[in-house]
Order: sequence, then structure tokens, then C-alpha cells
Amino acid sequence: MNIFDFFRQRKTQNTTASVAKERLSIIVAHERGQRSQPDYLPALQKELVEVIRKYVNIDQDQVHVALDNQGTCSILELNITLPDR
Amino acid sequence: MSQADLLDQDPVFQLKGSMLAITILELTHNDLQRLDQQLAAKVAQAPGFFQNTPLILALDKLPEGEGAIDINQLMVVCRQHGLRTLAVRAVLESHITAANALDIPLLPPSGAREKPIELPGKTAKAVEKPAEPALRPSKLVTSPIRGGQQVYAKGADLIVLAPVSAGAELLADGNIHVYGAMRGRALAGVQGNTSARIFCQQLGAEMVSIAGNYKTAEELRRDPNWGQAVQVSLSEDVLIISPL
Amino acid sequence: MGFYTLGKILVVTSGKGGVGKTTTSAAIGTGLALRGYRTVIVDFDVGLRNLDLIMGCERRVVYDFVNVINGEASLTQALIKDKRLEKLYVLAASQTRDKDALNKEGVEKVIMQLAKDFDYVVCDSPAGIEKGAFYAMYFADEAIIVTNPEVSSVRDSDRMLGLLASKSKRAEEGREPIKECLLLTRYNPERVLKGEMLGVQDVEEILSIKLLGVIPESQAVLKASNTGQPVILDEESDAGQAYGDAVDRLLGKEVPHRFLEIQKKGLMKRLFGGRE
Repeated sequence: MNIFDFFRQRKTQNTTASVAKERLSIIVAHERGQRSQPDYLPALQKELVEVIRKYVNIDQDQVHVALDNQGTCSILELNITLPDR
Repeated sequence: MSQADLLDQDPVFQLKGSMLAITILELTHNDLQRLDQQLAAKVAQAPGFFQNTPLILALDKLPEGEGAIDINQLMVVCRQHGLRTLAVRAVLESHITAANALDIPLLPPSGAREKPIELPGKTAKAVEKPAEPALRPSKLVTSPIRGGQQVYAKGADLIVLAPVSAGAELLADGNIHVYGAMRGRALAGVQGNTSARIFCQQLGAEMVSIAGNYKTAEELRRDPNWGQAVQVSLSEDVLIISPL
Repeated sequence: MGFYTLGKILVVTSGKGGVGKTTTSAAIGTGLALRGYRTVIVDFDVGLRNLDLIMGCERRVVYDFVNVINGEASLTQALIKDKRLEKLYVLAASQTRDKDALNKEGVEKVIMQLAKDFDYVVCDSPAGIEKGAFYAMYFADEAIIVTNPEVSSVRDSDRMLGLLASKSKRAEEGREPIKECLLLTRYNPERVLKGEMLGVQDVEEILSIKLLGVIPESQAVLKASNTGQPVILDEESDAGQAYGDAVDRLLGKEVPHRFLEIQKKGLMKRLFGGRE
């Protein structure tokens, strides 16, 4: 690696344009994926509430579904707050 | 299916009500020769008015003792001068009988107020002018009038105490006063009032018009009073811009 | 803020696109939260989501405005809490292609609920005068009209002012009209001096509304959207400071207008060029 490669690497990491590029590539890739897929999160949550209600009496607000996009992988987070016994 | 049902489904005609503005020739003397001469004089004054114009022959204003009217001959004289009789307005038995004999529709004397027609020098479709509208208080606007908005002062003057943006439209049957920058369009006397005027504190209008006679910004810009306080008035179909 | 006081509904609108509405909504909303007010910024576009990118929370959008209207999610679930300021929240726009997704009753319900929970509801309007722009301004108490010193922007702002005066809920109910003020953005004093650009007084004269502030053309704005940091957080930048002044004026403070004159560049900047 020569001295110019060193400076080039530094440049791509530090400028706001590179930050923008990184943010955009993630969000655009995610949204392109979403366009072909139906937006399933609301429906998923609704059905989960219905299933849980068969066993425990809960509200829609006590079920929390969140999708977190971190870099190349997505994490689906599911939080269910059960009522006090 | 009965005959009646078939008829209902495919109507041959429709009866509709309508209001017509029409010219009335009120005969005051039973003198067809002088009528012919005087009509000829009127035609010379305003030839456009006498092009197959529908007419109502009013005989009810004839004073007593004028003698029997030859309605047929009367109609011929009128037709010669471009007036086509639609109906006869009559009160006397003899007139009614005569009209019926000629198969001309009859109209009773109307209670409507009629105004005499003043023939202008140029071609114009003369109409029965309606009664003068009662005086209505001026329409007052105190907030700016923006592009895309329109204000109409019906039967009254319009007074604006704020700037008028380009793209805004002011209309009034009477005068228009703009105590602010006038950058939109002002149309005064929209129902035909030629004595309407436009007053503005700062002339920057896209268009000004009085009774349909207009000037656009292209012309107005060249006026030495552009940008100043002016009044716009109509004189012999020409808009005059004079400083206030 | 007590239970009985409703928060102020503020719309940031313009008519013309690309003049800086979202930048302004983000900056003003952030500025209000910085000064201690519970603030929510709502993206009223239907189909094109922008506010989340400018606020830097694009990866945390799960539910949006239309999800809440349709009952698919509660407001609590849809509101995105800002990572930098605890009193700041964002409600993202829907990505739906359905233009009828927004309706009066639905929007009213959400906006009124937000007004109960927040001191300020900043409505980021889309460009144009169609549904999104209409609903963004319909319930407003105050309006910031973002205008560039440029002919089409000024004309569109004028048109928008006409709509605010006649088509808002306040206008329909005959209540006190929306309080309007002008924010002049992308101002370039050099070009104004040369006579190439409309000056502040020119625009004020044509639009006849109170001036909230003048935001100079600045490189800081692009940097801000690149990084997802509202420009008001860039306290060293001219634009950031100008937005700060504007928020103070919005809150009633008398602040003299800065950045109207050509800034004298320091020697270093003159040597290396660029405009700060």
C-alpha cells in the first residue's frame, strides 16, 4: 500500500458525503426490498395479539414489534408485556 | 307493455321555461308612412340592430281615436327594416281580433318596467334594461388579496385597504378603489356601467377593465403614470389613466 | 404544560418545492426542543418520506402517519424518539401510493392527540397545494412560509398565503386567522448587492407578512442532511445560528437580523476558498 492509498482511505471515511452515501445505500436497499414485499409488520402484530389473547388478556399496546436494520442484517424484535398476576 | 310506457321511455320533446330579453316597438301614432321614414332613419343610425331582430308590436299605448290599425301592413313595414314581429301586445278588442285573424300570438300588457332603448353608434344587441339596482353599501376588504383569489362586489363598489397580489382578481359592478399596491387585475363596471372608475395608490396592475374595455400590463407599463397613484376612467370606449 | 392547554400547531409550508421546508421543520423543531419544549415534527407527505432522513432516524421507522390513521398502530408505537434530545419526537410519512390515505377525520384525530401531548406540533408540509399540503395547514395555529428570493417561489408563497387565509379550519369557522410569518431561505447578500437577487425588502413588500428570519445560503445545510443532523445543531455555521435566531423570534424574543450583509471572510478562508 502506497502513501496515496492511505490518504484515499482516510478521505472516504471522514467526509459527510461518505456518511450520506452509506446511509442512503442502506435505506434505499431496505426500501427496495420492502416495495416487493407487503408491509407485514402491522398485520403480524395484530395476529400475535390475537394468538396471545387466547391465553392471556392483553392490549395491542402491550405487544411491541420492531424491525432494526443494522448494516447487512435485519433484526426483528418482539416485546410482549404480560399483565401482573 | 302499454302504449303509455313506450311513450315515457322515449320522449319526443321537452317543455322548458326561459326568460327572454326582447325589443318592443310601441306605436304612438297610426301613421305607417312616417313610421317607415323614422324607422329608416334609425336603421341608418345603427344598422346592426336591425338584422332580423325579433320584435313585439305594442299597440296598447296608442291613444284613443287613432283609427283602425292595419296590423298586416304594420308588420310588413317593420319587416322591411329588419324587424320580425313575434307577437302583438294589445288591449282593445279590435286589435285582438285582428291579431287572431292573422294568427299572431297575443300578449297582455305587461306590468314590467321597460326602459327606452338608446341606440349607440356601433352595432349592439339591444336588450330591455332592467330597473336600476338599489344602492348597496361598498364591499370593504382589509386583508391582502393573494394570487388565485377573486373578490366580486355585486351591485356595489369595492374598496381594498391592502395590497393586491399579481394573480388576484377584483371585480365590481361599481368602482374599484385600491389603497395599496395594485398588482393584480381590476375589472370595474362588469355589468356594463361605463361610468365606473378604478382608483389605486400604486398602479402595477396586470390588467384594468371598465365595462369590458381593457388594457393589459404591456400597455399600462408604457404609461408615464405607471407605479403612481392613478384613476382609470372610460371615455368613448377608451381607457384614460390620469394621476390622482 | 397542563392537561387543559393544547400545544401550538405550527405548519411549515411554501407552495414551491425545494425551498427548504423539511430543513426548516427539522431545524425549528429541534430548536424548540433544545429550549425545553416538548416537540413533535410530523411529515405530511404521502408517498415520499423525507423528514426521517433529515432527522437521521430513517432506520428506526416502523410505523408511519397512515398506519396510525388506519388504526394499524398506536401513536405511541409510531412516534420516533430523537436520540439526541429527550423532548423531541418524529412522526414519519407514509410510503403508500394511495393518495386518499389521508382524510380529514383521521388527520384531525392524530393532530389533536399530538396537541394534547406536546407543546409544539410542527407540521412539515409537502410541496404543492394538494392533499398533503392542504391537511398540513388545515389545523394550524401558526404558519411559517418558507420562501427563496426567486420569482416562482415568491408567487407560490403568495398563493399559499391566500389558501391559509381562506381554506384553513380557522378561516372556515371564522376564528382568529392563522398567524403567518415569512422565512427567507438561501439568501445570498452578494447577489442581492449586485442586483441579481431579490432583497429582503422586495420580498416583504410583495408578500406583506411579518419576517421571521433570513437563512443565508450555506454549505452547512448539505452537510446537515448528509449526516442526518438538523443544521441548527451546527452552532458554528451561519445557517445554524440564523435558525437559532428564528426560533427565538418565534418564541417572542426581539433578535436583530444577522447574515443580511456580505460576511467578511477571514484570511484562511480567502486563501483556501469556499463559503461558510
